[in-house]
Amino acid sequence: MNRPSRTIAIIARNELIDSVRSRRVVAMVILYLLGAMAATALFISFLHTVETKLMTANGGRDSRPTGTTMAALWQSDSFRNTVTHVLGDRQQAQSLLAVPPLALFYGWLALTFTPVLVILLSAPRVAEEVSTGSVRYVMFRAARSHWCVGKFIGQALQVLAALLLSAISAWVVGMCCLTGFQPVATAGAMLLFALKAWIYALPFLGLALGVSQVCTSPNLALVFGFVSLVALSILSSISRWLAGPGWRRMWTVVSALTPGGHKGDLWWNDSGHLLPAVAILLALAAGYSWAGYARFSRRDL
Amino acid sequence: MSAALELHGVVKCYGQLRALDGLDLEIPRGSIFGLVGSNGAGKTTAMAVATGLLQTGGGTINLLGDGVFRATKHAGRVTLLPQDSRFPPHARVAEVLRFYARLQGVPAAAIDPNINDLLDRVHLQDRRQSAVRTLSHGMCRRLAIAQAFLGAPELVLLDEPLNGLDPREAASVRELIRQCRGRQAIVISSHHLADIEAVCDHVAFIEKGKRVRQDTLAKITHRSHRITYLFSGGLFPSAQLTAALPEVNWEQTENSATATFPDKYTPAALNAIVLRIVLEAGVGVLEIRRGSDLEREYLRSI
Repeated sequence: MNRPSRTIAIIARNELIDSVRSRRVVAMVILYLLGAMAATALFISFLHTVETKLMTANGGRDSRPTGTTMAALWQSDSFRNTVTHVLGDRQQAQSLLAVPPLALFYGWLALTFTPVLVILLSAPRVAEEVSTGSVRYVMFRAARSHWCVGKFIGQALQVLAALLLSAISAWVVGMCCLTGFQPVATAGAMLLFALKAWIYALPFLGLALGVSQVCTSPNLALVFGFVSLVALSILSSISRWLAGPGWRRMWTVVSALTPGGHKGDLWWNDSGHLLPAVAILLALAAGYSWAGYARFSRRDL
Repeated sequence: MSAALELHGVVKCYGQLRALDGLDLEIPRGSIFGLVGSNGAGKTTAMAVATGLLQTGGGTINLLGDGVFRATKHAGRVTLLPQDSRFPPHARVAEVLRFYARLQGVPAAAIDPNINDLLDRVHLQDRRQSAVRTLSHGMCRRLAIAQAFLGAPELVLLDEPLNGLDPREAASVRELIRQCRGRQAIVISSHHLADIEAVCDHVAFIEKGKRVRQDTLAKITHRSHRITYLFSGGLFPSAQLTAALPEVNWEQTENSATATFPDKYTPAALNAIVLRIVLEAGVGVLEIRRGSDLEREYLRSI
C-alpha cells in the first residue's frame, strides 16, 4: 500500500502525462505563449505609436527606435513624481518604478488573464473523468482526497510551466523589438511576476476543480466555472468599493475571501505585503477546492 | 477467517427506487462466486457499494474483515471491473496499466512482468503501445479485465466480464478466472448462467435488491444428489432400477430419466449401477448430466 504522498505524486504525474498525451497542454501553451507574444507585440506597437505622437507633438521626427523615449521617461524625476502622486504611496511607486516597463506590462497581463485560462482549461477535468466513468478505475485504488489533491498539483504544475513559457516568449519579443531593453532585470522581474501570477491563479484553480467535483458533465463544469469566476470578480470589486468603517468592515472580510482582494499586494516586492497575500491565496485555493470536495467525497460515482 | 465480503441488510436508493433492499451476501475467501439476477436486480449496485463507489443508505459492509471500504485500507486488496466505464482515451494500454499498478502499490520491480503476463493472457500484447481510443470494444473490455487482475488482490469483482468478448477470448478469461480459485475471491455477475455454471463454486440469486438464495453451486444444482439420463431406443428399465436401487427416486419423461439419490451413494457409484442395468436392457444412453441446470434452479427460485 502506498503512502498518501506517493499516491498523490503518482496521480499528479499522471495528470501531467495525460495532458501531454491528450494535447491539452498544446492548447495551453498556445494560449499562454502566443497570447503573451501577441500582447507584448501589441504593447510595443502601442508604445511606438505613443512615442511617435510625442515626438511629432514636440516637433521632432520619428526616427528613434521604440522604447528610447519610454526608457528616458522612466528615469526622469518628473515622471517618477507623477507616478508617486497618482499612487499616493511613495514606497509602492518606488517599488513599481524599479521594475522595467515590459515586466510591469507582463505582470498586468498574467494577473488579468491567467484566472480566465485556468477556468477554461481546468474546470472540465474532474467532471470529464466522472462522466466517462474512468474515475471508477481509480477510486478503489486511491482515496478520493488523494486523487483530488493529485489532480490539483498536476494542474498547478501545468499552469506554472505555461506561465514561465509565456514570460520567456514576452521577454524574447521585448529583446527583439525594444531599444534600451534591460535583459537581466526584465527577466528577473518577469520571472517574479510569473510566480506571483501562479500563486494568484491557485485559488482560481481551486475554484475550477471545486466546481468540477460537483458537476456531472464537463460542459456544465465549464459554464459554472465561468459563472463563479465572474461572480467572484464582481463580489471582489463590490466589496472593495463598499468596504469602510463600522459595519462596512464586513465588506473588508468579504474582499479578503476573494482572490481579487489580494491582487494589489502582489504588485509589491516586500515580504510584508507578499507573504500574507501568498498565505491567504493558498488558503483560498484549499478552501475553494475543499468546498467542491465536500460534495465529491460523498458523491456516487 | 472472515469472509472476503459480507453485506448485511445493505440498502441503496436512487430517489424512490430501492436498488438494494436489505441485501445480504457472504462471499467466502478463495471462492469463485456468481451473482445471478435479472436486469436491475442490484448486481452492479452491490459491487459498486462494496468498493465505495456508491454511498449506502443503511446496512453493514465488511470488506476483507476490515469494515467498510476505505482506500487507505483496501487499495490493492480489492479490484473491480466496472460495467460501462471508459479508459482515458489518449492513454496507451501499457501506461494505463502501469498507472493503476503503481496506484495500488504493486512493487516497482513486479509491475512490468505483471503487465506482460496479463497482456499475454488477454491477447493484447501486440497492442501494448496503442492508444486506448484505437482499441475495439472487445479489446477495451479485455483491458478492463486485465486491470482487475493487477497485483494480487484478495477480492476481484467482475461485472459482466464476458460481455462483448468473442468465444476464444471468453474461454481464455474463464480459464484466467479458474486459475484464481483458492487464492483470490472472485465475484462474477452475469446474465449468462452457463458461464456462471462453468466457473463458479458459489452462487447467489438476487432479485429486486434482495438475496433470494445463496449456496454452493453443487447444492443449488443438486450435483451430488441428482443425475439425469437422456436415452433413445428401447424401454427405460424403471422396474429393474427401482428394485436394484430402492432409495433412489426416479422422475421420468419420454426421453429422459432423473435419479435423485441420498448421501449413501456417490454419483460415480450410482452411475455405474444405473448404466449397467440400462445398457443390459438395450437402451441407448445419449447423455448423462450431473445435477440440474442453474437456469432451471434460478427460474424455480425467483
